[in-house]
Amino acid sequence: MDATSLANPIEQVKVSHGDGGSMSRIMAIARNVFREAVRDRVLYNLVLFVLLLTAAAIFIGELSGGQERKVIVDLGLSAMLLFGTFIAIFVGVGLVYKEIEKRTVYAIFSKPVGRGEFLLGKYLGLCLTLLVNVVVMGIGVSLALMYVSRGWDPLVLVIWPAVFLLYLELMIITAIALLFSSFSSPALSALLTFFVFIIGHFSSDLKGLATSLGSTSARWLFASLYYLLPNLSNYSFITPAAHGQAPAAAFVAMTTVYAIFYIAVVLAAATFVFSRRNFK
Amino acid sequence: MKTDSIKTNGLVLLIIAGLIAAISVSRWIDAHRGPLNAGADDESLYLNGKTARRISLAFNGLAADWYWMRSLQYVGKKIINLPDNVELDDLGQLNLKTLAALLDTATTLDPQFLDPYEYAAVVLPSVDVNQAIRITKKGIDANPNAWKLYQHLGYIYWQQKDFQAAADAYGRGAAIPGAPTFFSAMKARMLAEGGSRDTAREIYRQMFEQSNDDSVKDMARRRLMQIDSMDERDVLRKLLTAYQTRTGHCPATWKEVEPVLRSLRLPLVADAAPMDPSGAPYVLKGCDVELDPKSEVPGK
Repeated sequence: MDATSLANPIEQVKVSHGDGGSMSRIMAIARNVFREAVRDRVLYNLVLFVLLLTAAAIFIGELSGGQERKVIVDLGLSAMLLFGTFIAIFVGVGLVYKEIEKRTVYAIFSKPVGRGEFLLGKYLGLCLTLLVNVVVMGIGVSLALMYVSRGWDPLVLVIWPAVFLLYLELMIITAIALLFSSFSSPALSALLTFFVFIIGHFSSDLKGLATSLGSTSARWLFASLYYLLPNLSNYSFITPAAHGQAPAAAFVAMTTVYAIFYIAVVLAAATFVFSRRNFK
Repeated sequence: MKTDSIKTNGLVLLIIAGLIAAISVSRWIDAHRGPLNAGADDESLYLNGKTARRISLAFNGLAADWYWMRSLQYVGKKIINLPDNVELDDLGQLNLKTLAALLDTATTLDPQFLDPYEYAAVVLPSVDVNQAIRITKKGIDANPNAWKLYQHLGYIYWQQKDFQAAADAYGRGAAIPGAPTFFSAMKARMLAEGGSRDTAREIYRQMFEQSNDDSVKDMARRRLMQIDSMDERDVLRKLLTAYQTRTGHCPATWKEVEPVLRSLRLPLVADAAPMDPSGAPYVLKGCDVELDPKSEVPGK
């Protein structure tokens, strides 16, 4: 929320305070984060994505030895995760910092907006941006699949549970970016979030180390890391989706519950840290 | 206003001129650079499959696709430099040192990716049969219900003339729910007549019908033509021997035996030469018959 978009959120927050409540204030902030993302051309990454998929759909048939459907799904969902992660990290770490840097945070907190509401609004706004991004990309992958299959392709339905899991992963990464940005500089926050993204995909190795090491303290350390860091490998369903396998409903439900708990914990921690920051 | 326009035009011209210059210099460098080391393509891979899997995070499927396409390009680049057509299952002469590592990495990154296993079963035996068996067995371990992999394993053993092992592979494949009925028949056939042409015909027919890979399909199609041609040449040799016995000499041209050829209902070209399955005329060499050098039918 930079200076150009400053008038809107404050006005909306003011209005919503009168007739709504905490939720309407949060939604007002979220809407403005989304508008700002659109104004900042964050969604322009979709153009690059469409170009990538179009090129792949046209040319990959010659290179892949008849595996164009698999390659389209792998490429499409991987690009979705990569682009989404970059947006979650680089936009996420700037959400709070920009308000502090431009001192617009004073104007916002002079209104009856709680710090938790502010953070949650910011978080939901970026999640909405990512949702639009992911849905448009999912439609793009579906269309590319139908193009290479010259008609309906059953993979079009199979990829959506994987897209949903991928979106949950992006929501977790966004929450982590927001947590780091609540007390650190954007560069350091981006770096730390990126580390969490990488280590989160090594969770099975952490668990392996926790069980295989001889030293008790080392076992405790790795077991703690395994449970403290997000288990992002649970959300990697790209490769099975490319083979036409959908995750079991119970698995999707449990990973959703895990994501909700984890995000709640991270946002609560972010609010805790942010509430104690002195802006004077 | 005018200054702005001059500035804009100047910048556009600079971009165009700069691009043209950069492309020209790049082309000059390409033209004057010495040839790349011939062994550059055969260098060992920097990463083994397990390491690649570990560092690929959630992108292992995409990385597997990359290694798969590299495998195809690696073989394709070597085949394209050959003057004559070579069969996909007879590439031992090409020194495909890196192929096993590429396919192994692709299948470690994505163990459910079945096409690299098929490629390993078809191409690798002439390069390194032990690697072909190892990769196919690795695929079976990762995909115990994929009956196709047992078919590939049976094919490798059949090529090595190990008909007992081939029969075992087909037998184990037959036990998988959903496996086609021909698995049981192939097991019996391997034990009874593993080296026969009928067995070979059946193997290549199944390969042709079930493969998703155009190059494998094409190889199977050409092998089927080769088997048909071998049968035809046996018939023609008998015919020529009978002619020699009757007349005391071999025919100088196909015309001399045209009535008999017509009675056999073999398709003939204008000079009465019978056509092989690819449509090329057979060549008469005394009392023997050979393939035309331009024929699509594999010679060996």
